[in-house]
Amino acid sequence: MSSPFDQIIINETGDQIEETDLSLLETLDHVLNRGLVIAGEITISVADIDLIFLGLNVLVSSVETANEVLRQREPETK
Amino acid sequence: MKLSPGNPLSAKPDIETSHADEFVEQLRCVNDSLPSRINIDAQSVEQGLAKLVLTLIEFIRRLLEKQAVRRMEGGDLSPEQIEELGLALMQLEAKLQELKTQFGLTDQDLNLDLGPIGRLI
Amino acid sequence: MKLYAYCLTEDIDELTDGLTGVAGATVRLLKLQGFSLLVSDFADEIVAVTRDNALNHAAVVRSVLDRTTPLPFRFATLVTESELGSYLATRREALQAKLELVRGCVEMSVKIIWDRDWAQDSVGDEVQKKPGTAFLVEKRREILGGEARASEAKKIESWLRDRVGENVRETRINTNPTEKLILAAAHLVERGTVAKYRETLKDARSERPELHFLVSGPWAPYSFANIDLEFTARFGVS
Repeated sequence: MSSPFDQIIINETGDQIEETDLSLLETLDHVLNRGLVIAGEITISVADIDLIFLGLNVLVSSVETANEVLRQREPETK
Repeated sequence: MKLSPGNPLSAKPDIETSHADEFVEQLRCVNDSLPSRINIDAQSVEQGLAKLVLTLIEFIRRLLEKQAVRRMEGGDLSPEQIEELGLALMQLEAKLQELKTQFGLTDQDLNLDLGPIGRLI
Repeated sequence: MKLYAYCLTEDIDELTDGLTGVAGATVRLLKLQGFSLLVSDFADEIVAVTRDNALNHAAVVRSVLDRTTPLPFRFATLVTESELGSYLATRREALQAKLELVRGCVEMSVKIIWDRDWAQDSVGDEVQKKPGTAFLVEKRREILGGEARASEAKKIESWLRDRVGENVRETRINTNPTEKLILAAAHLVERGTVAKYRETLKDARSERPELHFLVSGPWAPYSFANIDLEFTARFGVS
Protein backbone atom coordinates (compact mmCIF):
# COMPACT_ATOMS: atom_id res chain seq x y z
CA MET A 1 0.00 0.00 0.00
CA SER A 2 1.48 3.32 -0.93
CA SER A 3 1.84 5.60 2.02
CA PRO A 4 0.38 9.08 2.33
CA PHE A 5 3.94 10.29 1.95
CA ASP A 6 4.29 8.71 -1.49
CA GLN A 7 1.07 10.44 -2.43
CA ILE A 8 2.54 13.72 -1.42
CA ILE A 9 5.70 13.48 -3.40
CA ILE A 10 4.01 12.80 -6.70
CA ASN A 11 3.63 16.04 -8.57
CA GLU A 12 0.84 17.18 -10.86
CA THR A 13 2.19 15.44 -13.96
CA GLY A 14 2.41 12.16 -12.09
CA ASP A 15 6.20 11.90 -12.02
CA GLN A 16 7.70 10.68 -8.83
CA ILE A 17 9.98 13.24 -7.26
CA GLU A 18 13.05 12.00 -5.48
CA GLU A 19 12.15 14.16 -2.54
CA THR A 20 14.77 14.41 0.13
CA ASP A 21 14.02 17.99 0.95
CA LEU A 22 14.35 18.22 4.70
CA SER A 23 12.46 21.48 4.89
CA LEU A 24 9.52 19.90 3.08
CA LEU A 25 9.43 17.04 5.56
CA GLU A 26 9.69 19.34 8.56
CA THR A 27 6.89 21.49 7.18
CA LEU A 28 4.70 18.45 6.62
CA ASP A 29 5.39 17.25 10.14
CA HIS A 30 3.97 20.48 11.52
CA VAL A 31 1.10 21.07 9.13
CA LEU A 32 -0.27 17.52 9.01
CA ASN A 33 0.13 16.43 12.60
CA ARG A 34 -0.92 19.44 14.65
CA GLY A 35 -3.22 22.42 14.84
CA LEU A 36 -6.71 23.42 15.94
CA VAL A 37 -9.33 20.76 15.40
CA ILE A 38 -12.86 22.04 14.92
CA ALA A 39 -15.62 20.37 16.89
CA GLY A 40 -17.49 18.17 14.46
CA GLU A 41 -14.34 16.40 13.43
CA ILE A 42 -13.85 12.97 14.82
CA THR A 43 -10.67 12.43 16.70
CA ILE A 44 -10.16 8.96 18.08
CA SER A 45 -7.16 8.89 20.34
CA VAL A 46 -5.31 6.27 22.27
CA ALA A 47 -2.74 7.43 24.80
CA ASP A 48 -2.97 10.99 23.45
CA ILE A 49 -2.08 9.91 19.96
CA ASP A 50 -4.67 10.70 17.30
CA LEU A 51 -5.41 7.54 15.35
CA ILE A 52 -8.07 9.07 13.17
CA PHE A 53 -8.63 12.76 12.66
CA LEU A 54 -10.68 12.82 9.51
CA GLY A 55 -13.34 15.44 9.12
CA LEU A 56 -16.82 14.26 9.97
CA ASN A 57 -17.97 14.53 6.38
CA VAL A 58 -15.11 12.34 5.27
CA LEU A 59 -15.66 9.73 7.95
CA VAL A 60 -19.36 9.52 7.18
CA SER A 61 -18.54 8.92 3.55
CA SER A 62 -16.16 6.16 4.59
CA VAL A 63 -18.80 4.39 6.62
CA GLU A 64 -21.37 4.65 3.84
CA THR A 65 -18.91 3.36 1.30
CA ALA A 66 -17.89 0.59 3.68
CA ASN A 67 -21.52 -0.54 3.93
CA GLU A 68 -21.71 -0.46 0.16
CA VAL A 69 -18.66 -2.66 -0.09
CA LEU A 70 -19.98 -5.15 2.44
CA ARG A 71 -23.35 -5.31 0.71
CA GLN A 72 -21.68 -6.00 -2.61
CA ARG A 73 -19.57 -8.81 -1.18
CA GLU A 74 -22.37 -10.69 0.56
CA PRO A 75 -23.56 -12.70 -2.49
CA GLU A 76 -20.00 -14.02 -2.87
CA THR A 77 -19.88 -15.55 0.58
CA LYS A 78 -23.26 -17.20 0.37
CA MET B 1 5.45 43.91 17.34
CA LYS B 2 6.49 45.68 14.15
CA LEU B 3 8.89 43.72 12.00
CA SER B 4 11.22 45.26 9.48
CA PRO B 5 12.32 43.46 6.31
CA GLY B 6 15.72 42.92 7.88
CA ASN B 7 14.22 41.13 10.85
CA PRO B 8 15.20 37.44 10.88
CA LEU B 9 11.60 36.47 11.52
CA SER B 10 10.47 37.58 8.07
CA ALA B 11 12.58 34.83 6.53
CA LYS B 12 11.20 31.33 5.99
CA PRO B 13 11.66 28.88 8.86
CA ASP B 14 15.18 27.67 8.74
CA ILE B 15 16.53 24.25 9.57
CA GLU B 16 19.79 23.62 11.32
CA THR B 17 21.33 20.19 11.51
CA SER B 18 24.57 18.36 10.83
CA HIS B 19 22.78 15.12 10.07
CA ALA B 20 20.27 15.89 7.35
CA ASP B 21 20.10 12.37 5.91
CA GLU B 22 19.27 10.76 9.24
CA PHE B 23 16.49 13.21 9.92
CA VAL B 24 15.09 12.80 6.40
CA GLU B 25 14.86 9.07 7.07
CA GLN B 26 13.15 9.47 10.45
CA LEU B 27 10.75 12.18 9.29
CA ARG B 28 9.68 10.00 6.39
CA CYS B 29 8.69 7.39 8.99
CA VAL B 30 6.73 9.95 10.98
CA ASN B 31 4.83 11.09 7.92
CA ASP B 32 4.32 7.54 6.69
CA SER B 33 2.33 6.52 9.73
CA LEU B 34 -0.31 9.19 9.20
CA PRO B 35 -3.84 7.88 8.91
CA SER B 36 -4.75 10.72 6.62
CA ARG B 37 -5.63 8.76 3.52
CA ILE B 38 -8.26 11.24 2.38
CA ASN B 39 -9.33 9.42 -0.72
CA ILE B 40 -12.57 7.54 -0.68
CA ASP B 41 -12.60 4.52 -2.90
CA ALA B 42 -13.67 1.05 -1.88
CA GLN B 43 -10.21 -0.41 -1.68
CA SER B 44 -8.73 2.29 0.47
CA VAL B 45 -11.74 2.23 2.78
CA GLU B 46 -11.23 -1.48 3.34
CA GLN B 47 -7.59 -0.90 3.96
CA GLY B 48 -8.42 1.99 6.26
CA LEU B 49 -10.70 -0.21 8.33
CA ALA B 50 -8.29 -3.12 8.23
CA LYS B 51 -5.55 -0.81 9.38
CA LEU B 52 -7.62 0.38 12.32
CA VAL B 53 -8.60 -3.14 13.36
CA LEU B 54 -5.12 -4.56 12.96
CA THR B 55 -3.61 -1.65 14.84
CA LEU B 56 -5.85 -2.45 17.78
CA ILE B 57 -5.04 -6.15 17.61
CA GLU B 58 -1.35 -5.31 17.37
CA PHE B 59 -1.72 -3.14 20.46
CA ILE B 60 -3.30 -6.01 22.38
CA ARG B 61 -0.72 -8.46 21.11
CA ARG B 62 2.10 -6.29 22.42
CA LEU B 63 0.33 -5.97 25.74
CA LEU B 64 0.12 -9.75 25.93
CA GLU B 65 3.80 -10.13 25.13
CA LYS B 66 4.75 -7.70 27.85
CA GLN B 67 2.53 -9.49 30.33
CA ALA B 68 4.02 -12.86 29.38
CA VAL B 69 7.57 -11.61 29.86
CA ARG B 70 6.58 -10.14 33.20
CA ARG B 71 5.15 -13.46 34.33
CA MET B 72 8.28 -15.23 33.14
CA GLU B 73 10.42 -12.79 35.12
CA GLY B 74 8.19 -13.21 38.13
CA GLY B 75 9.27 -16.84 38.40
CA ASP B 76 5.83 -18.33 38.97
CA LEU B 77 5.69 -20.18 35.64
CA SER B 78 7.11 -23.64 35.07
CA PRO B 79 9.47 -24.19 32.11
CA GLU B 80 6.65 -26.04 30.33
CA GLN B 81 4.25 -23.14 30.83
CA ILE B 82 6.83 -20.69 29.55
CA GLU B 83 7.34 -22.82 26.47
CA GLU B 84 3.59 -23.07 25.80
CA LEU B 85 3.09 -19.35 26.29
CA GLY B 86 6.00 -18.58 23.97
CA LEU B 87 4.70 -20.88 21.25
CA ALA B 88 1.20 -19.38 21.45
CA LEU B 89 2.54 -15.86 21.15
CA MET B 90 4.77 -16.90 18.26
CA GLN B 91 1.72 -18.16 16.44
CA LEU B 92 -0.17 -14.96 17.18
CA GLU B 93 2.66 -12.90 15.76
CA ALA B 94 2.79 -15.08 12.65
CA LYS B 95 -0.97 -14.87 12.18
CA LEU B 96 -0.93 -11.12 12.42
CA GLN B 97 1.93 -11.01 9.92
CA GLU B 98 -0.25 -12.99 7.50
CA LEU B 99 -3.10 -10.54 7.92
CA LYS B 100 -0.81 -7.59 7.38
CA THR B 101 0.44 -9.13 4.14
CA GLN B 102 -3.10 -9.88 2.98
CA PHE B 103 -4.04 -6.22 3.34
CA GLY B 104 -0.76 -4.92 2.05
CA LEU B 105 0.08 -3.18 5.31
CA THR B 106 3.57 -2.76 6.71
CA ASP B 107 4.71 -2.58 10.29
CA GLN B 108 5.10 1.13 9.81
CA ASP B 109 1.44 1.43 8.84
CA LEU B 110 0.46 -0.08 12.15
CA ASN B 111 3.00 1.86 14.13
CA LEU B 112 1.36 2.82 17.35
CA ASP B 113 3.06 4.95 19.90
CA LEU B 114 1.73 3.77 23.21
CA GLY B 115 2.64 7.08 24.85
CA PRO B 116 1.97 7.29 28.58
CA ILE B 117 0.13 3.96 28.54
CA GLY B 118 3.19 2.35 27.04
CA ARG B 119 5.08 3.27 30.14
CA LEU B 120 2.39 1.94 32.41
CA ILE B 121 2.11 -1.51 30.87
CA MET C 1 -19.93 26.28 -0.22
CA LYS C 2 -17.32 25.16 2.21
CA LEU C 3 -14.46 27.16 3.53
CA TYR C 4 -10.93 25.96 3.94
CA ALA C 5 -9.72 27.38 7.25
CA TYR C 6 -6.03 28.17 7.68
CA CYS C 7 -5.74 29.95 10.99
CA LEU C 8 -7.32 32.20 13.55
CA THR C 9 -5.83 35.42 14.86
CA GLU C 10 -6.56 38.44 16.97
CA ASP C 11 -7.86 41.45 15.13
CA ILE C 12 -5.90 42.17 11.96
CA ASP C 13 -6.90 44.39 9.08
CA GLU C 14 -5.09 43.25 6.01
CA LEU C 15 -3.39 40.30 4.40
CA THR C 16 -0.28 39.94 2.31
CA ASP C 17 -1.17 40.54 -1.33
CA GLY C 18 -1.80 37.77 -3.78
CA LEU C 19 -1.85 34.92 -1.30
CA THR C 20 -2.61 31.63 -2.99
CA GLY C 21 -4.10 28.92 -0.88
CA VAL C 22 -5.10 25.30 -1.16
CA ALA C 23 -6.35 24.23 -4.60
CA GLY C 24 -5.13 27.54 -5.96
CA ALA C 25 -7.91 29.54 -4.34
CA THR C 26 -7.51 33.13 -3.17
CA VAL C 27 -7.14 33.56 0.55
CA ARG C 28 -9.27 36.16 2.28
CA LEU C 29 -9.82 37.62 5.69
CA LEU C 30 -13.02 36.70 7.48
CA LYS C 31 -14.11 38.51 10.59
CA LEU C 32 -16.35 36.37 12.73
CA GLN C 33 -17.35 36.43 16.39
CA GLY C 34 -14.66 38.93 17.22
CA PHE C 35 -11.88 36.86 15.67
CA SER C 36 -10.03 37.23 12.40
CA LEU C 37 -9.68 34.14 10.24
CA LEU C 38 -7.86 33.31 7.07
CA VAL C 39 -10.01 31.24 4.75
CA SER C 40 -10.47 30.37 1.12
CA ASP C 41 -13.36 28.87 -0.82
CA PHE C 42 -13.25 25.13 -1.34
CA ALA C 43 -15.51 23.37 -3.80
CA ASP C 44 -14.74 19.69 -3.19
CA GLU C 45 -15.81 17.44 -0.35
CA ILE C 46 -12.34 16.31 0.61
CA VAL C 47 -8.87 17.79 0.58
CA ALA C 48 -6.11 15.96 -1.27
CA VAL C 49 -3.01 15.46 0.84
CA THR C 50 -0.54 16.74 -1.72
CA ARG C 51 2.78 18.50 -1.42
CA ASP C 52 1.44 21.68 -2.95
CA ASN C 53 -1.61 21.85 -0.71
CA ALA C 54 0.43 21.25 2.42
CA LEU C 55 3.04 23.84 1.44
CA ASN C 56 0.37 26.37 0.50
CA HIS C 57 -1.30 25.87 3.84
CA ALA C 58 2.02 26.45 5.60
CA ALA C 59 2.77 29.53 3.51
CA VAL C 60 -0.60 31.12 4.24
CA VAL C 61 -0.21 30.58 7.97
CA ARG C 62 3.36 31.83 7.72
CA SER C 63 2.29 35.05 6.03
CA VAL C 64 0.60 36.42 9.14
CA LEU C 65 3.39 35.42 11.48
CA ASP C 66 5.18 38.69 10.78
CA ARG C 67 2.25 40.66 12.12
CA THR C 68 0.80 38.54 14.87
CA THR C 69 0.87 35.01 16.25
CA PRO C 70 -1.95 32.92 14.75
CA LEU C 71 -3.53 29.68 15.93
CA PRO C 72 -3.19 27.39 12.90
CA PHE C 73 -5.98 25.00 12.03
CA ARG C 74 -5.03 21.46 11.25
CA PHE C 75 -4.50 20.77 7.57
CA ALA C 76 -7.71 19.93 5.68
CA THR C 77 -10.10 21.77 7.99
CA LEU C 78 -13.26 22.30 5.96
CA VAL C 79 -16.24 24.10 7.45
CA THR C 80 -19.25 26.15 6.51
CA GLU C 81 -19.31 29.70 7.75
CA SER C 82 -22.09 28.89 10.19
CA GLU C 83 -20.22 25.87 11.64
CA LEU C 84 -17.22 28.10 12.09
CA GLY C 85 -19.37 30.73 13.77
CA SER C 86 -20.77 28.19 16.25
CA TYR C 87 -17.32 26.83 16.98
CA LEU C 88 -15.99 30.31 17.72
CA ALA C 89 -18.97 31.32 19.83
CA THR C 90 -18.88 28.22 22.01
CA ARG C 91 -15.11 28.12 22.37
CA ARG C 92 -14.55 31.82 22.71
CA GLU C 93 -12.91 31.77 26.12
CA ALA C 94 -10.62 28.84 25.42
CA LEU C 95 -9.51 30.39 22.13
CA GLN C 96 -8.87 33.76 23.72
CA ALA C 97 -6.83 32.05 26.42
CA LYS C 98 -4.82 30.28 23.72
CA LEU C 99 -4.22 33.52 21.83
CA GLU C 100 -3.08 35.03 25.10
CA LEU C 101 -0.69 32.14 25.67
CA VAL C 102 0.96 32.40 22.27
CA ARG C 103 0.94 36.17 21.96
CA GLY C 104 4.30 37.58 20.96
CA CYS C 105 5.80 34.12 20.53
CA VAL C 106 6.83 31.69 17.82
CA GLU C 107 7.35 27.96 17.87
CA MET C 108 10.84 26.49 17.67
CA SER C 109 11.27 22.80 17.07
CA VAL C 110 14.02 20.49 18.36
CA LYS C 111 14.33 16.90 17.26
CA ILE C 112 16.96 14.55 18.65
CA ILE C 113 18.29 11.30 17.20
CA TRP C 114 20.25 8.82 19.27
CA ASP C 115 21.49 6.08 17.01
CA ARG C 116 22.04 3.25 19.39
CA ASP C 117 21.04 -0.39 19.60
CA TRP C 118 19.02 -0.49 22.80
CA ALA C 119 18.36 -4.23 22.93
CA GLN C 120 22.09 -4.90 22.66
CA ASP C 121 22.71 -3.69 26.15
CA SER C 122 20.76 -6.43 27.86
CA VAL C 123 22.62 -9.23 29.60
CA GLY C 124 23.30 -12.17 27.24
CA ASP C 125 21.25 -15.23 28.08
CA GLU C 126 22.18 -18.85 27.52
CA VAL C 127 21.05 -20.28 24.21
CA GLN C 128 17.48 -21.53 24.43
CA LYS C 129 16.80 -24.86 22.76
CA LYS C 130 13.03 -24.66 22.98
CA PRO C 131 11.47 -22.29 20.38
CA GLY C 132 8.66 -20.87 22.52
CA THR C 133 11.03 -20.03 25.34
CA ALA C 134 13.60 -18.58 22.94
CA PHE C 135 10.85 -16.37 21.56
CA LEU C 136 9.97 -15.03 24.98
CA VAL C 137 13.60 -14.53 25.95
CA GLU C 138 14.17 -12.47 22.82
CA LYS C 139 11.03 -10.44 23.56
CA ARG C 140 12.34 -9.84 27.04
CA ARG C 141 15.57 -8.49 25.56
CA GLU C 142 13.62 -6.13 23.32
CA ILE C 143 11.31 -5.00 26.08
CA LEU C 144 14.17 -4.27 28.45
CA GLY C 145 15.84 -2.36 25.63
CA GLY C 146 12.65 -0.39 25.14
CA GLU C 147 12.53 0.47 28.80
CA ALA C 148 16.15 1.60 28.79
CA ARG C 149 15.36 3.81 25.83
CA ALA C 150 12.30 5.32 27.50
CA SER C 151 14.26 6.09 30.61
CA GLU C 152 17.04 7.78 28.61
CA ALA C 153 14.43 9.78 26.70
CA LYS C 154 13.10 11.09 30.00
CA LYS C 155 16.61 12.08 31.07
CA ILE C 156 17.21 13.92 27.81
CA GLU C 157 13.90 15.70 28.20
CA SER C 158 14.97 16.83 31.63
CA TRP C 159 18.40 17.89 30.42
CA LEU C 160 16.90 19.92 27.60
CA ARG C 161 14.53 21.61 29.99
CA ASP C 162 17.42 22.60 32.23
CA ARG C 163 19.34 24.06 29.30
CA VAL C 164 16.71 26.10 27.51
CA GLY C 165 13.96 26.33 30.14
CA GLU C 166 14.42 29.98 30.97
CA ASN C 167 14.12 31.03 27.32
CA VAL C 168 10.93 29.10 26.75
CA ARG C 169 7.36 30.02 27.68
CA GLU C 170 5.97 26.56 27.20
CA THR C 171 7.00 23.11 25.95
CA ARG C 172 5.31 20.19 24.22
CA ILE C 173 7.18 16.90 24.07
CA ASN C 174 6.81 13.77 21.99
CA THR C 175 9.17 11.14 23.37
CA ASN C 176 8.65 8.29 20.98
CA PRO C 177 8.19 9.51 17.44
CA THR C 178 10.26 6.70 15.90
CA GLU C 179 12.93 4.23 17.00
CA LYS C 180 15.90 6.49 16.35
CA LEU C 181 14.15 9.80 16.96
CA ILE C 182 14.25 9.74 20.72
CA LEU C 183 12.74 13.15 21.36
CA ALA C 184 10.79 15.79 19.50
CA ALA C 185 10.17 19.00 21.40
CA ALA C 186 8.19 22.10 20.50
CA HIS C 187 9.15 25.28 22.35
CA LEU C 188 7.07 28.43 22.60
CA VAL C 189 9.65 31.21 22.53
CA GLU C 190 9.14 34.98 22.71
CA ARG C 191 10.18 36.65 19.47
CA GLY C 192 12.82 38.76 21.09
CA THR C 193 14.35 35.71 22.77
CA VAL C 194 14.77 33.53 19.67
CA ALA C 195 18.39 34.50 19.09
CA LYS C 196 19.31 33.78 22.71
CA TYR C 197 17.42 30.49 22.52
CA ARG C 198 19.45 29.44 19.47
CA GLU C 199 22.71 30.36 21.19
CA THR C 200 21.81 28.41 24.30
CA LEU C 201 20.92 25.38 22.20
CA LYS C 202 24.18 25.62 20.29
CA ASP C 203 26.12 25.45 23.55
CA ALA C 204 23.96 22.64 24.88
CA ARG C 205 24.47 20.51 21.80
CA SER C 206 28.21 20.43 22.27
CA GLU C 207 27.69 18.81 25.68
CA ARG C 208 26.10 15.75 24.11
CA PRO C 209 28.17 14.65 21.07
CA GLU C 210 26.39 11.28 20.92
CA LEU C 211 23.11 13.02 20.13
CA HIS C 212 22.18 14.37 16.71
CA PHE C 213 20.08 17.53 16.69
CA LEU C 214 17.73 19.19 14.28
CA VAL C 215 16.54 22.67 15.15
CA SER C 216 13.92 24.35 13.00
CA GLY C 217 11.85 27.48 13.18
CA PRO C 218 10.37 29.94 13.58
CA TRP C 219 6.99 28.34 13.04
CA ALA C 220 3.47 29.40 13.88
CA PRO C 221 2.47 27.62 17.11
CA TYR C 222 1.12 24.44 15.50
CA SER C 223 1.93 22.35 18.55
CA PHE C 224 0.31 24.71 21.01
CA ALA C 225 -2.89 25.55 19.19
CA ASN C 226 -5.18 22.66 19.93
CA ILE C 227 -7.56 23.59 22.74
CA ASP C 228 -8.90 20.05 22.94
CA LEU C 229 -5.54 18.42 23.41
CA GLU C 230 -5.68 18.60 27.18
CA PHE C 231 -8.87 16.57 27.17
CA THR C 232 -7.54 13.79 24.98
CA ALA C 233 -4.34 13.65 27.04
CA ARG C 234 -6.28 13.17 30.26
CA PHE C 235 -8.60 10.69 28.65
CA GLY C 236 -5.73 8.60 27.35
CA VAL C 237 -3.75 8.44 30.55
CA SER C 238 -6.48 7.56 33.07
